[in-house]
Amino acid sequence: MEFTVSKGDLVRELSLSQGVVEKKTTIPILSNVLLEAADDRITLTATDLELGIRCSCPARVKKEGSGTVPARKLLDYMRLLPEGDVNMKFLDNHWASITSGRSRTRIAGMSRESFPELPQMPEPIAQVPVKTLASMIARTSFAISMEESRFTLNGALLLMRPEGLTMVATDGHRLAYVQAAPAESGSADKPFRALVPKKAMSALTKLSDDAGDGAMAIVAGDDNHLFFQIGHRLLITRKLTGNFPDYERVLPKDHQFMAKLEKAEIRSAIERVAQFADERSRAIRVQFNAGEVRVFSSSVETGESEESVPAEYTGPDIEIGFNAQYLLDFLRAISQDHVAFELKDQKSAGELRPAGDAIADQYRYVVMPMRI
Amino acid sequence: MKEVRTYFHVDMDAFFVSVEELYDPSLKGKPVVVGGQSHERGVVSAASYAARKFGVHSAMPLRTAYQKCPQAIFVDGHPDRYREYSHRVHDVLESFSPLVEMASVDEAYLDITGTERLYGPPLRAAHLLHERMKKATQLNCSIGIAASRLVAKITSDQAKPNGILWVIPGCEAAFLAPLDVRKVPGVGKVTEKNLHLLGIRKVGDLAQLDDGFLEERFGKWGMALAGKARGADAGGWFDTEIGEDAGPKSISHEHTFNEDTGNLEQIEATLARLSEMVGRRLREHGLEARTIQLKLRYTDFSTITRAHSLPRATQLDTEIYEEIRELFRRNWKTGAPVRLLGVHASGWAEGGEQMDLLGEDRHQKWKETMAAADRMRDRFGEKAVSLAASLRGNFRERTHENPVGLPGKNREKNSK
Repeated sequence: MEFTVSKGDLVRELSLSQGVVEKKTTIPILSNVLLEAADDRITLTATDLELGIRCSCPARVKKEGSGTVPARKLLDYMRLLPEGDVNMKFLDNHWASITSGRSRTRIAGMSRESFPELPQMPEPIAQVPVKTLASMIARTSFAISMEESRFTLNGALLLMRPEGLTMVATDGHRLAYVQAAPAESGSADKPFRALVPKKAMSALTKLSDDAGDGAMAIVAGDDNHLFFQIGHRLLITRKLTGNFPDYERVLPKDHQFMAKLEKAEIRSAIERVAQFADERSRAIRVQFNAGEVRVFSSSVETGESEESVPAEYTGPDIEIGFNAQYLLDFLRAISQDHVAFELKDQKSAGELRPAGDAIADQYRYVVMPMRI
Repeated sequence: MKEVRTYFHVDMDAFFVSVEELYDPSLKGKPVVVGGQSHERGVVSAASYAARKFGVHSAMPLRTAYQKCPQAIFVDGHPDRYREYSHRVHDVLESFSPLVEMASVDEAYLDITGTERLYGPPLRAAHLLHERMKKATQLNCSIGIAASRLVAKITSDQAKPNGILWVIPGCEAAFLAPLDVRKVPGVGKVTEKNLHLLGIRKVGDLAQLDDGFLEERFGKWGMALAGKARGADAGGWFDTEIGEDAGPKSISHEHTFNEDTGNLEQIEATLARLSEMVGRRLREHGLEARTIQLKLRYTDFSTITRAHSLPRATQLDTEIYEEIRELFRRNWKTGAPVRLLGVHASGWAEGGEQMDLLGEDRHQKWKETMAAADRMRDRFGEKAVSLAASLRGNFRERTHENPVGLPGKNREKNSK
């Protein structure tokens, strides 16, 4: 195999595969990127067996073929080359010789025979705007469980329903729910639901950053995999198996009381007060009083802190414990200036929503209190 | 200047054996070994004075005890009985002074400072307590009286059996000097050997050394040792005052199989049983554990411990068992015979328990179920209720000095 490619093109596509390549080399070939040259394009493939990515860029192909080289090493080296054309030629011993200007390098590769075969993309089932996907991911992924043992919670639920595209994530303590406006939901032949692993979500975010404004993702799925085709880039992920919790049961049907707050105010108040919360539990107390919300923290080691924020609130005085981090995750994820904090009592889940006019989509964040 | 305090160390004489004698008076005066049958695995929990003459002592393997004293009567331990009598002992002590700290199932420290007007001078008070104890429990005890708990403990040992001894304040050094260093609480085999190597055999030898030397040789522990040699309460054990309760730092239960087993069903049933025992004690102390640890010993004595931290602290048998089973399945060399299993809980949740969005109902139900099960166990005994998974893991609870529900050590904070 031999081809010539622009350094910029190759670096851009290689960077996209970086998040996917296996970092701990349990299986050495998974640290490598597969390069295939044909029809005046080179295709780059990387996988960790859970997640795979296939990108391509134009190239002048002198001799078709394929080979693999360590992805990280190739990218690090390429980045250091000056802009311009790079020639790559694979030798019989699986090494690749790279020539660019006055630089000449031979990089140790491995036979492509041992590189895993990625599944073929089946018939598409939906088309969704990439920006919608990315914005849903940004507003839910922080609620995904870090507990590896709760594997059905190690990702988010992606739903295509008549109401619109929906994404739900939970770690068992809080739940984030986003339902995109129908106009921004794209289109599907029929409803579908799938569990998308967290790693695939961050890869999608990365692909979205690199995609144009109106870009669409073509979605497909087989029994075990999900496919997202964005332009000439294809992301393939294993689906998470198992039953995602019944989120509809968790979303509160009604709340008794509501406090409306200025986001920036409550966010900075919690940020400051949380400095004196117990470092492990991150517990703060939130007190709802007529016309104001007060937050308190205290820790044996560091001290105590309190702050009060004006609020539109007419309910009774209630004090509820919350994990400060959980509240901040939400307050940092929204773009609107106001939030509605809905609650019932000390033992029931509270719900946060962006408040204001002209909010086309639905974003609901349910947080369980802490016993204090 | 600190006020001179007066402490009692009350130590029941051959407690386990004496309790067994109450149930079977024919055992009286005979060499008796409590802990299991002579051919079984396990260790001696207690030996009667008659058996001790043959060199049998607690913590000795049962089989060794049999070699030393084949004519001894071997009795299975009955932790339920000891608990009951421990409670009675505690009641007597509690009625005598409010400042009682049970150090184990059969010994306690009492702070009786300032009770002269009530009970008279220390010796008289001790006699009074001694008589009350005998009357209420039919058990003998020995009482050491001193101005520090350390000396009181050493003194009660010197007073045994069935005696009372008072070390008058100021005479501690003279009293301690001729004793073997091993008598100092905290000096075990290893420290003893190290001290012997330095030519230090008696507490008096120790007291003559300067602190700097001991600190250099033994670190922080050396400082404590120096203090102890002079009769001061030093070094960890006596950090809190009687009546203050520091609470346990961890709770664990272990089981050694009579025969090593590779039978998964039996192993998991045993783990379930151990989880129940740990859960029960967590609830008694009103504690919730964040970290669950498995101890696994194979036939060749190679031992591993593996721990996992839970996303949410627990005191529920079911949750402990789920965790421990997972740890076991991940770490067991499949099929390899297991000699010993242990379940260890630690890392108490302090304030601010995160409630669960998905499992809160289930969690609450289990909590109520466990509370109901505990009440049944209180009334009908430990085996009255158990998880189905643990039914095949019903082994005899071994007798040791820190059993479930040690009175005076409970922290009944969250109990409802």
